Amino acid sequence: MIRRAVGRHPHALLIPLVFVVFVATWEGTVRVWRIADYLLPAPSDIARALGAGLSSRLYLEHAWVTVIEALLGFLIAAVTGVVLGTLIAQFRLVERTLYPYVVALQTLPKIAVAPLLVVWLGFGLSSKIVIAALVAFFPVLVNVIVGLKTVDAPKLDLMRSFSATRWQTFRFVTFPNALPFVFAGLDIAIVFSVLGAIVGEFVGSQRGLGNLILQFNTALDIAGMFAVLLLLAALGVALHLIMQAIQRYVIFWAQPNHVIGA
Amino acid sequence: MSDRVITSGREGLRDASIPQAPSPPLISAAALNQTYVSQDRSVVAALADISLDIAPGEFVTIVGPSGCGKTTLLRIMAGLLRPTSGTLRLLGRPVTGPSRNVGVVFQDPVLLPWRTVLDNVMLPVQVLRLDRRSYHSRALDLLGLVGLAGFESKYPHELSGGMRQRVSLARALVHDPALLLMDEPFGALDAMTREAMNLELQRIWQESGKTVAFITHSIAEAVFLGDRVVVMSPRPGRVADVVTVSLGRPRDLDLMASDVFGVYARKIRQRLGPRGLLE
Repeated sequence: MIRRAVGRHPHALLIPLVFVVFVATWEGTVRVWRIADYLLPAPSDIARALGAGLSSRLYLEHAWVTVIEALLGFLIAAVTGVVLGTLIAQFRLVERTLYPYVVALQTLPKIAVAPLLVVWLGFGLSSKIVIAALVAFFPVLVNVIVGLKTVDAPKLDLMRSFSATRWQTFRFVTFPNALPFVFAGLDIAIVFSVLGAIVGEFVGSQRGLGNLILQFNTALDIAGMFAVLLLLAALGVALHLIMQAIQRYVIFWAQPNHVIGA
Repeated sequence: MSDRVITSGREGLRDASIPQAPSPPLISAAALNQTYVSQDRSVVAALADISLDIAPGEFVTIVGPSGCGKTTLLRIMAGLLRPTSGTLRLLGRPVTGPSRNVGVVFQDPVLLPWRTVLDNVMLPVQVLRLDRRSYHSRALDLLGLVGLAGFESKYPHELSGGMRQRVSLARALVHDPALLLMDEPFGALDAMTREAMNLELQRIWQESGKTVAFITHSIAEAVFLGDRVVVMSPRPGRVADVVTVSLGRPRDLDLMASDVFGVYARKIRQRLGPRGLLE
């Protein structure tokens, strides 16, 4: 039974195997060569640091701050991205007027603005939320525009054959048709928003996982830094899975595809 | 099938042996021309001097090789495309755009994947702002008529190709148009399904009393379904001939193997050109 299942899905066995071999090699290398823990801690040290940090609630308090910053930034990015993308895709004049600015802003590395935002908005949550929103905004915007512009001609012909108004065509065809693209954009945006929040915390903050990384860095607590990185990875995966679950529910008729990065 | 589906007071069942009363044509095309400018800026004629009258209740098939402008002609009749010159009248009035007296079945079913079968059929009712409640039962009747009773709450991806095209047919009929335009609707189906759909379409047409213009590149389909077959020649599309098919109704599939059927098919093939031009 097990043998047949493994034969059909060899990767089901290989994925954990790669993990075990990797961790064991790491652990062995660190112990055999006696590598200093301020250069590379052993996996067992990282696990201990993670356990201690989680049980003392220290990590969770910081993680909570980062999650709030990322989610609020994501929400702002999602709403403005969908609204502005819709206006750009639907109205030629808006497109012609705003598109040069959009392209200019997009080519700018948003992260470079972070220090300025910290100066303006301070060390609290708001500067991180704005940075997260700024970073997460473009994947949403680009995917909304592309999604609204890729309606196949037969569907538009169908609506025209009923003399549908522009609003009816948008509501019944163009918008639902764009939803797979919108969700592809939102999926990227939610991961980007965590990135934005962390960068904001690096630049200037009192709390958050990014701040915690800096604290550990100063203290040369490398095992602690690895533990926070693991926590960040878990956070990213969790947010991505939540987005996918929402996506499967809302756009039940389509499979996730058409990802356009930014 | 339910009487509610039969509409507009026109006759339902008919018999080809009874000559139709001389009535004004439902749709009338006079000297239609369609040209367009190609990429190398030369002017290309797609349709040349098309004149065609279709009587109320008539089933006209339009057959021609690929690229003869059949679809262009249908788009003009649907009001989706303005002819370069010529006039088109529907129920006596000049056609200036899409009309609610027309229902279109496209080559592909063009269903909205996020809507159930019933909601897809109800789409024209919503867009045309008709009374949803009264058309709801009509939509259900039509789904029964096309053989999809019980599939109302399925989604398009749960249906076969033939079933999707049936939904598309029900949708084209739901707002009770006088004219049904069909653009090679069964071209993507396998031969068996296609023959079954032809039989179904004949029955639906007889029960609903609609006027049908049906585009195809299959000579057999054109003869089987049509009261008259309009034969088109390619580039630019012209009416090469109009063949009246005097075969009784309802026609069954055995008819396709008969000698009379073969005579019609041969005649049309000859009109299409020296080598019959179809694939």
